Amino acid sequence: MAGYLLRRVSQMILTLFLILTVTFVLVQAQPGDYASFYALNPDLPPDVREQMRATFGLDRPVWEQYLIHMRNTVTGNFGVSFGHFPRPVLDVLAERLPRTIVLFVSATAVSFYVGFLLGKAIAWRRGGILEYAATISGTALFTAFTPAFALMMIWIFAFRLGWLPVGKFLDPLVWRDADVSSTSVFSLMLLTAAAFLAFASLVSFASRRSQRIGGRRSAVPLLLAGALVLALAWYLSGIGNLALDILRHMILPVATLTLISFAGTMLLTRNSMLETVREDFVMAARAKGLPDAQVRDRHAARNALLPVVTSLIYSLVFAIDGSVIVESVFSWPGIGLTLLEAVRTEDLPLVMGAIVFIGFLSLLAHLVVDVLYACLDPRIRYR
Amino acid sequence: MTGLGLRYSTRQGEVRALRDVSFDLARGEALGLVGESGCGKTSLAKSLMRLLPDNARPAGGEVLLDGEGLLSLPEEEMRRVRWRRISLVFQAAMNSLDPVYRVGQQVLEAIEAHGVEETVASARARVARLFRLVGLDPRVMERYPHELSGGMRQRVVIAMALSCDPDIVIADEPTTALDVIVQDRILRELKAIQGQLGISIIYITHDMAVVAEVTDRVGVMYAGRLVELGETAAVFRSPLHPYTEALMSSFPSVSGEKRRLASLSGEPPDLADPPSGCAFHPRCAYATALCREQSPPRVGRGGQWAECWHPLDPAAVPVDPA
Amino acid sequence: MRWSRSKGSLLPDASAGPPRVEPGGGRLRLLHARTRLVLRSFRNGAAVFLESRIGLLALVIIVLFAVMALSHPVLMGTVWDADIYDPVTGYAFDATEQPAPPSWKHPLGTDPLGRDVLSQLLFSTGSEFVLGITAALVTVAIATTVGAVSAYYGGLVDAFFMRLADLIIALPSISLLIVLSGLFDLSLFYLALVIGVLGGFGGTAIVLKSQALSIKVRPFIDAARMTGGGQFRIIFVHIVPNLLPLSLLYMMFTVTSAIFAEAVLSFLGLLDIRMSWGIMIHTANTGGYLLSGTRYWWLVLPAGASITFLCSAFYLAGRALDEVVNPRLSRRDG
Repeated sequence: MAGYLLRRVSQMILTLFLILTVTFVLVQAQPGDYASFYALNPDLPPDVREQMRATFGLDRPVWEQYLIHMRNTVTGNFGVSFGHFPRPVLDVLAERLPRTIVLFVSATAVSFYVGFLLGKAIAWRRGGILEYAATISGTALFTAFTPAFALMMIWIFAFRLGWLPVGKFLDPLVWRDADVSSTSVFSLMLLTAAAFLAFASLVSFASRRSQRIGGRRSAVPLLLAGALVLALAWYLSGIGNLALDILRHMILPVATLTLISFAGTMLLTRNSMLETVREDFVMAARAKGLPDAQVRDRHAARNALLPVVTSLIYSLVFAIDGSVIVESVFSWPGIGLTLLEAVRTEDLPLVMGAIVFIGFLSLLAHLVVDVLYACLDPRIRYR
Repeated sequence: MTGLGLRYSTRQGEVRALRDVSFDLARGEALGLVGESGCGKTSLAKSLMRLLPDNARPAGGEVLLDGEGLLSLPEEEMRRVRWRRISLVFQAAMNSLDPVYRVGQQVLEAIEAHGVEETVASARARVARLFRLVGLDPRVMERYPHELSGGMRQRVVIAMALSCDPDIVIADEPTTALDVIVQDRILRELKAIQGQLGISIIYITHDMAVVAEVTDRVGVMYAGRLVELGETAAVFRSPLHPYTEALMSSFPSVSGEKRRLASLSGEPPDLADPPSGCAFHPRCAYATALCREQSPPRVGRGGQWAECWHPLDPAAVPVDPA
Repeated sequence: MRWSRSKGSLLPDASAGPPRVEPGGGRLRLLHARTRLVLRSFRNGAAVFLESRIGLLALVIIVLFAVMALSHPVLMGTVWDADIYDPVTGYAFDATEQPAPPSWKHPLGTDPLGRDVLSQLLFSTGSEFVLGITAALVTVAIATTVGAVSAYYGGLVDAFFMRLADLIIALPSISLLIVLSGLFDLSLFYLALVIGVLGGFGGTAIVLKSQALSIKVRPFIDAARMTGGGQFRIIFVHIVPNLLPLSLLYMMFTVTSAIFAEAVLSFLGLLDIRMSWGIMIHTANTGGYLLSGTRYWWLVLPAGASITFLCSAFYLAGRALDEVVNPRLSRRDG
């Protein structure tokens, strides 16, 4: 396992290195001189211009610039954003990365879970109404034009029904009198979510250690109690309404991203399940007299999961692209929207920084999937 | 001792995989079922446990276990019968073990599902006992299927079949995938275990050597029908059906894989369109016009019977197929 | 021994043998037999394809769109006045307000700039086909070559191309295209080229390589090698033609992703293109007409539906084709 992990991480570092090289080549290849972008930009004060020239080695030969580019990236020095002058690119991205990650991770988790459950169900009981409804609506959502679909969601839930805000990260009216920044509230929210996840995994681990057969108690009440305690803490903290505001703004983008991507997992799970139920060990499980649900979940679905997780790599990339689109439609200030704004305003340092972060994000997701797969398949784990 | 009555017949779509097969099995008895590939042996095993695929439906008949009809049991009760009363040793051990769980866990699962033991600790102790019984180190419990050799996997599958003290174990080609030495050892151990625990075993095989070694009685199947049934010793000494004779003359001394029967030309018939009269007549050396036109009667001698117009022993007399 | 590049040699190498040196009549017979074989396998394939109702439906949709694309120049040449109906520069002088709702003269109404929506829709259909097919051809040309070459040579060449493919798969393509459109002025043709190159060196190359590996071990390759066939000829005469059926499948998927990418980029207003379905939605969106719901439906529904339908038609055609050319999925026997 450790060897496998090491190999994957070193591959990832190599790929990251390639991405950096590609971005450098792109900047060099684009019409117009990179140096002039920085050095001759009239919006920049002369001293900053000088400083830029020094950091990026703009008057040096290309190969030296390349080395400097590498060193700068590794040390997190992406330069100064034009659009958000004088904030450094890294600062802008550090503020926005968590927002993208939350959007992306929650949508991916929900859509994977829902897609897997539905795929499992429609493969197990074939030919039902559920199968037709899920397949047709799933395919329709999967192939729908993403921006148009996102706009339709806004129109229905924000304009017609008025349940949810139209877009953006927060409502300025709610935040006018607040003496904390949205970023710090958001960080606290992330911390809370992480704490709850840790608690939940601890509870489920403990419940699995039970010694009596058939006497396993459900962990749900304990989890509910944990959630209640955390909610109470937020309520008493006095910034609960601010967190709620961010949550309300999150619902629609997450829902949109989930809806466009669950069908891929669902259809894949269905196909994979149909292959798996023909395996001998599924019949063996049935012969052993296991309850139907146990045959389905612990044997058929557990094995059908493996190819689905493998192809998660493709759907992750799809979801990252999807979140760029969703962010732009919902004005959700994450990396995707940052990239788009930077491209529109020709804020070159920010463009470069954003694409490197997006590349890094997708490589990280890649790595997580690989590790997950190794955990799920003992044949890989012990190689 | 209660006699176990098993009576069965089915139809798979257009294909009649089994036609009016009847036999009974006493407690502690070892019955062999032999025949070429595709004669309905595995279908028989699956229908005994009601594990047939959706496209199969039983066409009449009944499976009686201690006088209780299994085919009409509700699914939930049938689930309890599986493994607790009748268990199965699968043909291909590699494929019948789930690759993602430790083998001990897979045995444990059956024990837990039937509530044979009270606590996890006692269930684990039981698995360890079973593993020792089939000649495995209990530490093998913590291994995954892909880490085991073919013989070890087969032993795990046998241990799994024994895990809930079943009354009947159906062993479907239990040793086909193994090399001869391992095959022989496992068969001998199975026989010893059978004597020790007093269970009934149905061996399903195409290998006459296996039948000769471990069974008390043998049934010969052809084209979905049971064509001969009798004491193993008696059948081997003097078969009644020409097909049984042909099977025996091709007696494979070193077996392991499917082999063409030396003295038999042609293929087993297509079950979707079986020949008229006696299904064996196109390949039979003794066939007459009678065989082509009419189904053969049942003739017998002592406890042994066959369905044939021209039994090899003229002393056989028609018997009532009751 | 020269192998004349006859028509038969470009088609799948069904006769599985090295080219034989025979007098003209023999070669002609060989060619004839090969053509018959190819025709038969094509007919069988077509039967499987048409048997799946989804494949048939997809084909009907694609043909319908092709007819739409062809109808635009015809209409412009006959009944449509360029001053009014030009998709980019026209203006509907006859409408009192812009955007005007559908009428007899403008069956799908006009856009906020007074241009006929139907004319825009039909004009764009043609560009989408050009875009999709160019991208698909580029992808297939690159992917078959890369696949065949890395399967044939293996080793370092293979490792290089496969790592490259891994890299491209790991990168979110839309984000990359957004960056490219910021750095360069992407016209329709360059966009098609970029999408084609990304697809060709990416996932498609991996699939075609594994297929090429299974072809490489077949006896006729050995036979060709033993009769002294050069590497170049073995790759392009024996391996590549056998990859073509699978390539065709991936062409379909490339068309889908190309049309989708173009629509997204146009919607975001990043492309240097005069008119497309994405731009139609972009125009409506920047004018704020999209959030008025169903009132200005003709501004977004025709273009949005066209994107969805054409994308899914090519996608479903690919799935149906999958049943034909992908031996693993072929479940005809049971």
